[in-house]
Amino acid sequence: MVHLFMNPFEKRITNSFEEAPMYVAVLTYMGYGIVILFGYFRDFLRAVGFEKCHQAQEREEQKDFVPLYQDFENFYKRNLYTRVRDNWNRPICSLPGPVFDIMERVSDDYNWTFRLTGRTIENVINMGSYNYLGFAENNVDFLKTVAEETRQYGVGVCSTRQELGNLSIHEKLERLVAEFLGVESAMAFGMGFATNSMNIPALVGKGCLILSDELNHTSLILGARLSGATIRVFKHNNMQSLEKMLKETICSGQPRTHRAWKKILIMVEGIYSMEGSLVRLPEILVLKKKYKAYLYLDEAHSIGAVGPTGRGVTEHFGVDPNEVDVLMGTFTKSFGAAGGYIAGKKELVDYLRSHSHSAVYATAMSPPVVEQIIRAIKCIMGVDGTTEGQRRVRQLAENTRYLRSRLKEMGFIIYGNQDSPVVPLLLYLPGKVGAFSRAMLKRKIGVVVVGFPATPITEARARFCVSAAHTREMLDKVLQSLDELGDYIKVKFSRHRSSYRPELYDETDFELDS
Amino acid sequence: MKHFKYILNPRCGNGQTAEKICGCVSNLLRCTRTCRTRTRLECCLRRQLARFSNTAAESLLPGYFARMNVGVAHSEVNPNTRVMNSRGIWLAYLLLTTALHVVLLSIPFLSVPVVWTLTNVIHNLAMYLFLHTVKGTPFETPDQGKARLLTHWEQMDYGVQFTASRKFLTISPIVLYILASFYTKYDTTHFLVNTGSLLSVLLPKLPQFHGVRLFGINKY
Repeated sequence: MVHLFMNPFEKRITNSFEEAPMYVAVLTYMGYGIVILFGYFRDFLRAVGFEKCHQAQEREEQKDFVPLYQDFENFYKRNLYTRVRDNWNRPICSLPGPVFDIMERVSDDYNWTFRLTGRTIENVINMGSYNYLGFAENNVDFLKTVAEETRQYGVGVCSTRQELGNLSIHEKLERLVAEFLGVESAMAFGMGFATNSMNIPALVGKGCLILSDELNHTSLILGARLSGATIRVFKHNNMQSLEKMLKETICSGQPRTHRAWKKILIMVEGIYSMEGSLVRLPEILVLKKKYKAYLYLDEAHSIGAVGPTGRGVTEHFGVDPNEVDVLMGTFTKSFGAAGGYIAGKKELVDYLRSHSHSAVYATAMSPPVVEQIIRAIKCIMGVDGTTEGQRRVRQLAENTRYLRSRLKEMGFIIYGNQDSPVVPLLLYLPGKVGAFSRAMLKRKIGVVVVGFPATPITEARARFCVSAAHTREMLDKVLQSLDELGDYIKVKFSRHRSSYRPELYDETDFELDS
Repeated sequence: MKHFKYILNPRCGNGQTAEKICGCVSNLLRCTRTCRTRTRLECCLRRQLARFSNTAAESLLPGYFARMNVGVAHSEVNPNTRVMNSRGIWLAYLLLTTALHVVLLSIPFLSVPVVWTLTNVIHNLAMYLFLHTVKGTPFETPDQGKARLLTHWEQMDYGVQFTASRKFLTISPIVLYILASFYTKYDTTHFLVNTGSLLSVLLPKLPQFHGVRLFGINKY
């Protein structure tokens, strides 16, 4: 594979996945080992009767039958997850903007049950919501328009797009989305997940081949399964793996008959939400053209969030959006609404209008939601006469760069591309995961942490989602807390040392500081 | 050549549809060596199943078609299969064994041969318990219970034999046995104990014993 990019573009396309030192991995296993041993011990105590068992149990007379509950499958949940359960599903009582209010809850029996104290923790900085452009807000101008449209169109449509549910506002939205993306035509659906799972079966079927990335989202995997096509998985963002797989599958053909494939569809995402990595779009386009495959790009997290004017990864890499065959995205993240879209050539979208499962069976989008999306897109495009949209896009890019560079300077291990607003900070050890989240809440910052088995066993992480609504003060507060907490908990594992003078920093120049 | 019931992974990526199942060791090695790349290609798993009617292998068909994993960051159906391949786990295992040995050595009234035999026996007991007794996964997996009746050894790498981790975990009790034999000066009692213990931990690792439950012990 020809190495296409020289130094200036290298940073835009590369994703960094730095490895922690080996002792961290060993300590992680020790941590899990200790928790497992204590888990067995506690299970023993529960079985003997020393400790109260909070789980659902069968009645005595039913114990001889086939078991109702799988004890061992809940081992992890009982002995690990429940101990740190207070870090997830926290009830909030305000809208999830850049700051929000959390209802304080305590547990008297080590997280088996919770009790709300009645107090609220106010103005907690929100680093978990997918609020990239800050549209999760109580904006009077937007809501006035939305209210008017609701009065005109009603709250719900109660019908599918194909029957009675095709409103003029839907067509307006679709024209606007197509214009925003720079393609011929687009179609909008009520649910982002359903956009993938209902439309991929309409596009590919038996006899087709789907090449999907290792870390693709569940909706893409479900859509691929439902379609009946043959699925092959290539290593995450690895173009050598993809090319090798393309060569092999094209040569060997369909599974038993070895005939040529009807269609080959490469499914990738714009930004992968757990890794923060950007897809290597220019290289995929080269491969796609060479092997005559189609490309399905899921821009759920990247639309509105990357690119100089918020048009997504195609704009970020300077690629013509018409080169991507199927552009898919959601309105949930950057537009502050709900739903998804598929955009591309007019023939493709017209085909989907009649053949998509969503168009035939699912209810059409609700008019107030559609109006919110229209307002958000108009704001980003600048059509509403203000520069607010552009300001938000630029603010997001600035915040992203700032947060990422400062975190790298501090010595944390961050995954992903330097331009992606999703920032996973690696914590590794299971104990640190719980401690980190609780300590951040004490400092009034709300974070999302993820551990095994949702991530690989050694890579538990905290995921920050930068928002355009975050001010510099908020980010500074977050960074300061992270600095103190990072030293206290000791999660600063990065072995790269970067200079504090970025414009002079060059990895290959050794005679720098003389 | 003997017909071995190798369970070939449909997910090997070298392009070979390993047709000669029996005796084609080089093919198998190529298959398993590249299996760690986790790319998928259709091997003749189903043909194998039809020929050998290996019910344990049938229950291991996952991963061929992508599964629906809600709320996880990867498309791995059963994370347990990848644990032994993760970075640093071999080192952690070696360190743990060394720590066990050092702790036993610190007990004043045990002589060195006894300590080595004890290390060997306790290590093999623990290995037998965690790898060959405990079945299923400690968390719910989206594979609809396919791995529920399988021990961790059988779940490793979705049943592919002779992967690097399997070889490592087979060789390490043998090395421990050799060391124990040396330090016990080949005394008869120690020899019997150590050999019995080694056999108890080596036999379940043979591919012929994949999914086998003797006398119905540990079946459900």
